[in-house]
Amino acid sequence: MNSLDIAKIVLVLIGAPILGCLLAGIDRKLTSRLQGRVGPPLLQPYYDVRKLFEKDNVVVNKSQNLYVVMYVIFVVLSLLMLVFEADILMIIFVYTISSVALIVGGMSTGSPYARIGSSREIMAILSYEPILIFYAIAIYMLTGTFKLSALDEASTPLLMYIPLIFIGMLFVMNIKFKKSPFDFSTSHHAHQELVKGMFTEYSGPGMAGIEIGHFYEYTFLLGLMFVFWKINILMGLILALIAFLFVIVMDNITARVYWQWMFKTSWTVMLLISVINIVYLYIYEIKII
Amino acid sequence: MMETTVMLLMTVPILFSFLFLALSKKLYKILAWAFFIIGTFLSVQLVLGGVGTVEVAGQNFERLENIILVLEALVIVYMFYVSVKHKNLPTLALVAIATGISVYSFMNVAAVESASFNIDQLSQVMILIVNIIGTAIILFATGYMDEYEEHRHLNRQKTFYFTMSFFLAAMNGLVMVDTLGWLYLFWEITTLCSFVLISYNQDEEGINNGFRALALNLVGGIAFSVAIISFSGNGISNLSQVIGNSAGIILLPVFLLCIAGFAKSAQMPFHSWLLGAMVAPTPVSALLHSSTMVNAGVYVIVRLVPAYAGTPLGTAIAVYGSFTFVICSALALSQRNAKRVLAYSTIANLGLIIGSAGIGTPLAVSAAIMLILFHAISKALLFLCTGEIEHTIGSRDIEDMSGLIKKAPLLTMLASLGMISMLLPPFGVLLTKWISLEAASSNPVVAILLVLGSALTTVYYVKWLGTILSSSMDKKKTTHLKPETYFPLSVLGLSIIVTSIFVYSIFNYFVNPVVATLLGAVPTVSGQGGQFVSDIGGFAYAAIFIVLVLAILIYFATKSMFTPRKVDYYMCGENNLEKDTLMFRNGLCNYEKSSVSNIYMENTFGENRLSTVGYVISILIIIAALAGGVL
Repeated sequence: MNSLDIAKIVLVLIGAPILGCLLAGIDRKLTSRLQGRVGPPLLQPYYDVRKLFEKDNVVVNKSQNLYVVMYVIFVVLSLLMLVFEADILMIIFVYTISSVALIVGGMSTGSPYARIGSSREIMAILSYEPILIFYAIAIYMLTGTFKLSALDEASTPLLMYIPLIFIGMLFVMNIKFKKSPFDFSTSHHAHQELVKGMFTEYSGPGMAGIEIGHFYEYTFLLGLMFVFWKINILMGLILALIAFLFVIVMDNITARVYWQWMFKTSWTVMLLISVINIVYLYIYEIKII
Repeated sequence: MMETTVMLLMTVPILFSFLFLALSKKLYKILAWAFFIIGTFLSVQLVLGGVGTVEVAGQNFERLENIILVLEALVIVYMFYVSVKHKNLPTLALVAIATGISVYSFMNVAAVESASFNIDQLSQVMILIVNIIGTAIILFATGYMDEYEEHRHLNRQKTFYFTMSFFLAAMNGLVMVDTLGWLYLFWEITTLCSFVLISYNQDEEGINNGFRALALNLVGGIAFSVAIISFSGNGISNLSQVIGNSAGIILLPVFLLCIAGFAKSAQMPFHSWLLGAMVAPTPVSALLHSSTMVNAGVYVIVRLVPAYAGTPLGTAIAVYGSFTFVICSALALSQRNAKRVLAYSTIANLGLIIGSAGIGTPLAVSAAIMLILFHAISKALLFLCTGEIEHTIGSRDIEDMSGLIKKAPLLTMLASLGMISMLLPPFGVLLTKWISLEAASSNPVVAILLVLGSALTTVYYVKWLGTILSSSMDKKKTTHLKPETYFPLSVLGLSIIVTSIFVYSIFNYFVNPVVATLLGAVPTVSGQGGQFVSDIGGFAYAAIFIVLVLAILIYFATKSMFTPRKVDYYMCGENNLEKDTLMFRNGLCNYEKSSVSNIYMENTFGENRLSTVGYVISILIIIAALAGGVL
């Protein structure tokens, strides 16, 4: 590991939460404008976290914050692996650890609200994980390797050959940002029937940890979208931005659905288009390297 | 030296089975400890002895061959006896057919002059699994069976330990022997032992399920004996001769042996016997599901890889295995009964092993072999934990297990470790799943099936994991930790961690040479820097272990910065805790208990929905394999 790598790690550790925090701020600002409100200052998410850290550490279960640490650290690890262009399938599995930690953390509190939220979030995993892995398999089929580093030598961006999987990934973004219409496990809005769901029993520093984890996670998720046009940094960033705006707009124009609806849509429409895309790559033996 | 170890591995368990028969109940604990220590010692001895073959010829061979014949006759006579006694006509018919074929092959198939035991790294891995995990399960049983029998007013422990030990002897023979005729005997003995163990309770349900296991495995046994006859037409009498034979001629017997393997490994459409097997005491389920019975099937299928790798039959096997993986994972999702979840999970993982073997590339075959090992350890731990949980809370329903962390913290930790090792990196099972996925990516049908199955697997384990880790207001703790219960559990838990840390060494020492002999090529895998790197990807397990430790360190370091203050649950403005249970206040100001349950999706993935689909499609795939791959 040379000094450049260490610099990269430090940059990610410090830069990603700042970026994520700004994204969360932009989200709140845009949402309030769409709702005809002025909205909070851009740095409101940061002020929230700072305030949460100053609060008492109130818990119902002595080990519940261990799960938060697990969640944050594995999100950070998956983000680092993405930045260092590791095996995409491996990145998805590491990311699963963090999702599982959060779910189990919610359930570990034993609160009925948290358990309802967690069991819905488990269904979310069932809905999005196949699409994520299809994304990895598509990358393998196009480049002959799961290592993301190979994409640097690609002749064309991924998006050209896997547009259907891109649509599937937009669906995944909506689920993973926990935004309407899929915000049934925990919500950013106060008008839902289950508001904080999974995180009902988290407060103070524990909740602050979850928020920081979310900042990293936003960066990571948009990073996955960036990979669709990795050969050109500018185009990649634009894709990530489009995905982000798509999520915010969807959040504001849709109402919460049942988790059954999400599962059905995912396992019929989204899986079908992903499979069609995979079969297309297989039949035409398309390679971009 | 090796010859002695090989013979001891078969005779010592038999010796112990007779000791269990002869000595009184009070000595069982000591016997089980001795068995565990000797079993572990002998299996390690075999590994240290290296690879080689042990030839049995001349007078020795004739003597042993006679013993084998007598045993074979005894097995058949016993099967006749039980099926007549319980008037089970289908089984009787199958036994009659099996006997007819045995007599036919005794008369017509040219007798072999010698027999051999082939000790390679695959046999070594299997021996380690059988003799360490198997004896650990027997040790666990000594702390379990007294209570079990007390509840059910049974007194059959002599039969129980006799059969369990005999089972291990047969299994040891099965994974070392190279001569097909002898392999068949061991095969039938394991079938018979599983029948005795499954019908252990001697009630109607137990006997029916025992007969189901017997009948379905007899179908496999008949396929096996026909395969032997067919092989002898090609001059093959040893398993190792399959390598290097021109594949086309021997595909039919290979296919038949695979059918025998599918039956033994409880693949669809034969899977119902393994689900029925859970009426038996938990140690029996643990033994059948992890270290013995079902492993015999996948062991033979992996041994046959050179015959079908790269052929249409191989592709059919890959599709068949991965189909079983998906459908059984979906079925597991809909189950509330912990043992049924584990049973479906076993079938699914064996499907994954068979699927990987069917893909037939060096990388995929190494995944299959490693999964046999990792799955055996994790599944044994999970089954034994479920048995102990049942004794602790009196239920095997997953919903009843919420709050277990308060009632039995150590047990919950061990069970959680077992579950986490089944679905998350850096543990071995996930590593093999990762390898199979990467190896399957060149075949979209298999890849799609594996992707769906792996998502379903995550769901049913996370659900259960969350439930046992959820806390309750219950303050009770178990005070009594029996060493014969917790020692085997801790050994298994520790093995999960150790094997996952040394996964690359295990791969290098055990798996690589086997794949080299089976396929004549090795997967290009390197292991520098704690990574498992193939030419299409890399699995950084060391990094995850380090981060895992780091997370725990950070947690304890920051713990003192924020002193926790413990409060009760938030219940929407009213913290209503009566008699240590959660209460809601309803509209009439009465209190009602709150209860939350997991989502099981019985309407989508329930047994009544998917079982028929599973039967039809799996039979269709087998027919397609026969039509397209063999004929």
